[in-house]
Amino acid sequence: MSVLSLRDASVVLGGRPVWQGATFDVAAGSINVILGPNGAGKSTLLKAVLGIVPLASGEIEALGAAPRRGDAQVGYMAQSRAADQLSTLTGRDYVGLGFDGPRFGWRRDRAKHATVQRALELTGTLSFADRALRTLSGGQRQRIALAHATVFRPQLLLLDEPLAGLDIAAQAEIVDLINLVRVNTGAAILVVAHDLNPLATITDQVLWIARRQIRSGPIVDVVNERTLSELYGHPIEIVVTPRGRRVIVGLEEEFAHPHPHGHDHSHEDAHEHFAEVYDEVIR
Amino acid sequence: MSLWSLLLTPFVKNAFYAVTAVAFAAGLVGYFVVLRRQAFAAHAIGHIGFAGAAGAVLLGLSPMTGLLVFCLGAGLLIGLGGASLDDRDAVVGVTLTAALGLGVLFISLYSGYANATYSILFGQILGVTVGDVWLVAALSIAVVLVVSVVYRPMLFVSVDAQSAESRGLSVRGLSLLFMALLALTTVVAIQIVGVLLVFSLLVAPAAAAEVVTRRPWRALVLSTALALTSAWVGLFLGVWIGGPVSFWITALASSSYLVARLGAGWRARAALAVSA
Repeated sequence: MSVLSLRDASVVLGGRPVWQGATFDVAAGSINVILGPNGAGKSTLLKAVLGIVPLASGEIEALGAAPRRGDAQVGYMAQSRAADQLSTLTGRDYVGLGFDGPRFGWRRDRAKHATVQRALELTGTLSFADRALRTLSGGQRQRIALAHATVFRPQLLLLDEPLAGLDIAAQAEIVDLINLVRVNTGAAILVVAHDLNPLATITDQVLWIARRQIRSGPIVDVVNERTLSELYGHPIEIVVTPRGRRVIVGLEEEFAHPHPHGHDHSHEDAHEHFAEVYDEVIR
Repeated sequence: MSLWSLLLTPFVKNAFYAVTAVAFAAGLVGYFVVLRRQAFAAHAIGHIGFAGAAGAVLLGLSPMTGLLVFCLGAGLLIGLGGASLDDRDAVVGVTLTAALGLGVLFISLYSGYANATYSILFGQILGVTVGDVWLVAALSIAVVLVVSVVYRPMLFVSVDAQSAESRGLSVRGLSLLFMALLALTTVVAIQIVGVLLVFSLLVAPAAAAEVVTRRPWRALVLSTALALTSAWVGLFLGVWIGGPVSFWITALASSSYLVARLGAGWRARAALAVSA
């Protein structure tokens, strides 16, 4: 069953088309990784699903209706929450804001404590939920942020770069947690990422944005050198580790086949990406 | 005259009512100033109000009118122009210096006595009239009521604007509302402690409260309690010992922050010693 579908959707920001003609479906309970160079419109895609950014043409249907801002059944975790690093708020209070933060007035909801508690339990954050956000590690903060985004057990969950700035151990923890949330709530999850490697084992579908187009495919169809080279805009090699895991590696120019698409603006990002993957591989 | 009869004179009574009203508004709004890291904006709005007050005196109007117009105008300008964190400081700084320049011009043009200027800068707590008390009380009650209604959404956008926006809150609307509340609070607080010291009542109690407790609700209550205590004790000391009341209020509010920081440091060391 599809919980999110785009039909010929396009977004224009400041007179500039971001992407156009986007047509894809997201199945209930699936994990979908969104890839693409910086500025390609990955976050914009999430904001269009949230109803924050309007479509210039085409249609989006999220959970059977046009997106409307404030729908608690669509959870959202923004990319960088600058306040986190300074915040003296506790994780529990921050998750509580996911529950009744949008509500004006004095009335207090009796279900709040139990609902927040359940979200903390699901994300395994109880042991540090009563500490100030700024005293937590990056991984712990991301777990709290996931609890905040899932407090109403949304059926559609949008995560913008949940792995950014985390070390390999913390990345693996968050990936496990994303999968756990999917299993527990049955939510369809969209994850914006720069690197498919850490997410590959739990990913069902890959959405990639390049040259103002959004394309999609099941992960098994995407993980081949030709498609990935095109997707990253950089020559890619797939390496099989001694334990049988497939790792996506960017190639240096001297080893590469002639560049399939010439040099475009995404070249530098792909290079950065290469460095990250390379580091992971040599460890 | 005995201390007791001094405390019962009309001007001390008026001062007592006025500081009480101001401390409530400043304690509550101050918490959000600290939470949103907008101390610079709070500082600037007070100084911008000075230009307004000076301009109003020049035109033969009540300084209060000028304060209200300039503080609210500056608050909305800062709220509109500096919604994003990136250019907020620049917007505040430019608005501040432009207004201070105007203030200098207005004062140089004004040929009358400088008493009005002096009281705007340093407050005139013991010169508060019954009319002032009513105005200050009405504005403070309005601020307290609005804060209590918007408390949760305001906390939400202050902590995580993006998530709040995705949940249907208007970040810009709440940011403007906050600046308006801050401007009103500044106007009333200037009556008591003056432009130069308004900052102390707005920021010090809230900063101390944020050091002491992590829970927003408790911090709000504690911030208000500290503002009230500083205001009441400061007024009492000013009457009893002498010296400007605004000095005493500032000294007490700043001390509460110092004590909170020292206490937090001591507590952290104690916790370390226990765990070691």
